[in-house]
Amino acid sequence: MKKIYLAAAVLGSMMMSASAYAVDSTGCGLGSMAWKGERGIGPQVLAATTNGSFGTQTFGITFGTSGCDPDGRISGGTGRMALAFLENNLEQFAMDAAAGHGETIETLAGILNVDSEKLGEQTKARFASIFYNENADATSVTLAMIDLAHEIA
Amino acid sequence: MSDICRFFRSVFLAFFILQAFAGTARAEVSASAAWLALGHYQKTLFGGYESTIDTPNFFLSAGGKYNPQDELEATIALFQSNDYEKQCLFPARYVFLKKHGLTAAKFPECKEYEQFYHDLRPNGVTLLFTDANMNNPSSLFGHTMIRIDTARKGTQLLGHGVTYGAFMGENPGPFYPLLGLFGGYYGGFTVKPYYEVVNTYNNIENRDVWEVNLDFSRAELDYFIAHLWEVGQAQSQYYFLTRNCSYLLLENLDAVRPSLQLARKFPVQVIPLDTMKAVQNIPELNKGINYRPSRQSKIRHRYKMMNEAQKEAYLNAIKTHDYRIEGLNEPETADVLETAYQYVQYQYVAGKSDLKEYRKESFALLKERNRLSQTGSIEELSQNEEPMRGHDSMRAVLSAGARNGKGFQQLAFRPAYHSWTDDNYGFVRGAEINFLETAIRHYDSRDKFVLQNLDILSIRSIAPIDAMFAPISFQILWNVGRDYNPQSGREGYVTALKTGGGATLRLNDNIMVYALANGIAGYGGFLDDNVYGAVSGEGGMLASYKDWRLWLKAEKIYASVKWKSQTVYYAEGAYSLSRNWALALSGRYEQNYGRDVEEGMFGVRRYF
Repeated sequence: MKKIYLAAAVLGSMMMSASAYAVDSTGCGLGSMAWKGERGIGPQVLAATTNGSFGTQTFGITFGTSGCDPDGRISGGTGRMALAFLENNLEQFAMDAAAGHGETIETLAGILNVDSEKLGEQTKARFASIFYNENADATSVTLAMIDLAHEIA
Repeated sequence: MSDICRFFRSVFLAFFILQAFAGTARAEVSASAAWLALGHYQKTLFGGYESTIDTPNFFLSAGGKYNPQDELEATIALFQSNDYEKQCLFPARYVFLKKHGLTAAKFPECKEYEQFYHDLRPNGVTLLFTDANMNNPSSLFGHTMIRIDTARKGTQLLGHGVTYGAFMGENPGPFYPLLGLFGGYYGGFTVKPYYEVVNTYNNIENRDVWEVNLDFSRAELDYFIAHLWEVGQAQSQYYFLTRNCSYLLLENLDAVRPSLQLARKFPVQVIPLDTMKAVQNIPELNKGINYRPSRQSKIRHRYKMMNEAQKEAYLNAIKTHDYRIEGLNEPETADVLETAYQYVQYQYVAGKSDLKEYRKESFALLKERNRLSQTGSIEELSQNEEPMRGHDSMRAVLSAGARNGKGFQQLAFRPAYHSWTDDNYGFVRGAEINFLETAIRHYDSRDKFVLQNLDILSIRSIAPIDAMFAPISFQILWNVGRDYNPQSGREGYVTALKTGGGATLRLNDNIMVYALANGIAGYGGFLDDNVYGAVSGEGGMLASYKDWRLWLKAEKIYASVKWKSQTVYYAEGAYSLSRNWALALSGRYEQNYGRDVEEGMFGVRRYF
């Protein structure tokens, strides 16, 4: 039953992220964070010479609800937190998953409330199914990791 | 008169006296450092007060921005009322009133604030400094932020970064730097998960991050969060040099522990690194420091730690994009693959590969790495020169020298920040940024002081090209200086803008050589046509060894006016006596049209 809730939460976030998918074709797979952070030197010069931030978001009302949305606080249940984390850290997580250890594994183990070492071991063992090909995205990886966490919990 | 009357009269009198007492007590409370800091009040030149916060919603009384006493009264009144919605916006003020016995009310239920607190799960406060990465010209003076450490399971990646910055809208237009300087934008606080902060600074902008853990008690921590909620709803005019990202953070720290008095140490310019130093100079506030290297720093470190066979395999792999490594053992291969993976990420972020190619390569690397059962043996970079231990930002130089045989004395001052021949501990090698460097000179032969030179802004960045990275070297110099036109025999002030680009090579750990092509435009009232234009080629060497630095350069200038067509040779050496004292020696030789200039100078540099 709990699993169904989690899947629903993740799918809900997925639907909310539809608008993010529409913005560009990068989705939430590897490399999408770099797009969100605006690659290249131009935008960075603009953004940082005056230490400014673009946009008009105000405090307290920014919750990260949609896929790939870089704003907001860490909030909500396990599924939503795991998805938000992986959307933002998929590149590093992919390498940690392939190697079986690392900061993002430790962090995800904390979110999923499982033993970090065990999670690392199992993630490495099942790497090929979690990252089935280069288009694996944060949503599918999150679902796979939640499944895995339930198994080893 | 009846006893009853007398009784009422004395009660009335007692009440009146109590009221007066309460009034004085309240006046004292409203003038206390704690209340002033909570309202972000600073003393004005005329002896009054003004709050740094500008938006009216931060104040409960009409003149609250200028009147801390009215504001205290209004706050007391708020917590006597039943405007719970408004009370929810001021949880720190409530704690303040409670502590001073100025309210008996209970703090209401505040869903949003409780959610905020619950999301953060605060467990500590950490001050963050991201260094200036010159070669990625986005940030010249660095940046400071706060991290609210979290009690959540996992790592501090699940903490939150708090930034104060200007809101510039989606389309800031071409004048945003000017608007940023002169308060054209409003600034406010934003809160983001720390993993996003790390992504932005470490992985996208390639800037190192320093984390200084602050020693706050649980009560102080909660008070900090409560106050953050208060200022989080408010905004202030943003001034890039004075009321900037770092300044507002200092005011927030003062609000929690008023005895710190950090903000008042920065009446004029607020350089992020200086604020870090001010915090670190208070030992009881520091719990420890942690270094989080940028992606580029990590790659460089890992490459440096590789053995020769690994280096060869690594360079070959990133060149051919073939990641099947042969001839190395498993740990060695793991190190090569993990470094190459970071390099592929770096290249993609820098815009040097497209998404499809990048994903294919990343995936190939991941598969190769996943095949290995052993882990690599290179330890991640965990320490580096702390920028906070570098020389201080302001510099005064007292010099004596001779120009074409005429003796002179010179006094120079610059408010910020770092020159090539300054001690470079904690600074990016080859990076220079100077602001408003002013030199006043006195010649023995003439009995007066003259402005010799004003460097309004000088930015130089030479960064070596190697097998992995190909950064551009550049300089932007804008100055006003005395010039001499031998054709007319007149001397006067010329303002000149010089910009150039080129490349740098590293010869060894201590020596870099560079070449730059420059364009120059000058304007001066005493010149024949008021203006001149020029192009120049410049070659130089920058060396650093222990406490010594040496800069040599030669430049050939072709100008629209004959007398400005020069060849310039310049040498500058410096030796550090300590962190904030140095000796400097420089020599210049200009082959001018018709009249050469020889100048030598020796000086003492003091940083403060």
